[in-house]
Amino acid sequence: MVPDAYLNAAAGGDDRMVELAAAGWGVVALPQPGLPADVEGALLRDIADQLVAFLDGGYEVGFAEPDDPLAVRLRNLLATQGRHVEREL
Amino acid sequence: MTVCYLAHCLLNANAKVDEGARCAGVSTPVLSLLREHGAVIRQMPCPELAFGGTRRFWAVREQYDTPAFRAHCRRLAEPVAAQIRADLAAGARVVIIGIDGSPSMGVELTAAAGDWGGRPDKPNDEDYPVTPGTGLFTETLLGLLGDEVASVRPVGIGQDLFDYDEPRELARLGAVIEGGDPAAR
Repeated sequence: MVPDAYLNAAAGGDDRMVELAAAGWGVVALPQPGLPADVEGALLRDIADQLVAFLDGGYEVGFAEPDDPLAVRLRNLLATQGRHVEREL
Repeated sequence: MTVCYLAHCLLNANAKVDEGARCAGVSTPVLSLLREHGAVIRQMPCPELAFGGTRRFWAVREQYDTPAFRAHCRRLAEPVAAQIRADLAAGARVVIIGIDGSPSMGVELTAAAGDWGGRPDKPNDEDYPVTPGTGLFTETLLGLLGDEVASVRPVGIGQDLFDYDEPRELARLGAVIEGGDPAAR
C-alpha cells in the first residue's frame, strides 16, 4: 500500500516505486488528496475489498507509509472486517 | 497534463489470475514509459480480484457477464468516472489503459467463448479465445462517462494476449500518450 505521492513522485525526488518494484512488490495506491469525500470513501472501500482478497488468499501485505491519514483510515476499514496489517515497508 | 488511468494489474501483477502475470509486481516498462512522458498515474481497481478472489480460475467474458458482476463493475467504476470527469474539467488529457485480451479490462480485444464453463480445463495458451470487443469493466466505465467518453482515449496493452510483444505494446501505448494513434497489431 502506497500513498499517491509514491505513484506520482515529485521530479528529482526519490522514486520509491522503483525500489518497491525491484524488491518484487506489487503496488496498491491510495487515492490522491483533495477528492470529494464520497469519491474518496468509495475508493477506500473498494481498496479494502481488494486487500481482503489478498489477505484471505495468503498474500503478504504491507504499508509503505502507515501513518498517512488515508492509510490509517484504510487500516480502520480493514479492522471492521476483522483483518489487520502490521507489516511496514 | 496527461492523466493515465491504469488497469490495476499493471502496478500489481499479484491481482492477475494464476499463471497470468507477466512480472512479479509492478510492470516496470509501463511505469518507466509513463514517467518519461510526465504522465499523472491513477490506478483503477481490479474488478475480478474482489469478486472472485486470488484463487479464481481464468475465465471468458460470458462467465462474468451476470447482473451481479455488472453491478460490481458499476460500483467500482462510479468513483473512477467521477475522477475522470474532474480531470477533464481541469483541462487534462485522459488516457484509460486497459488490458487487451481480458474479459473485464479489455479495450479493443477481450476473451469470449460460448463453450467455456463447467470443468476448468480450458487452455490459457494459443487457443485462448481472444475476440474483438471491450471487457465488462471497460464497457461499464465508458458507459458511465456518457458524452464525455469522446474526450478520453482508451487503449489496451496486450498483456493477456498469447503473443504478447512488449516492445510493440509499449510503442502503441507511447503513441497514444503522445496524442497519436497506436499502430495496428
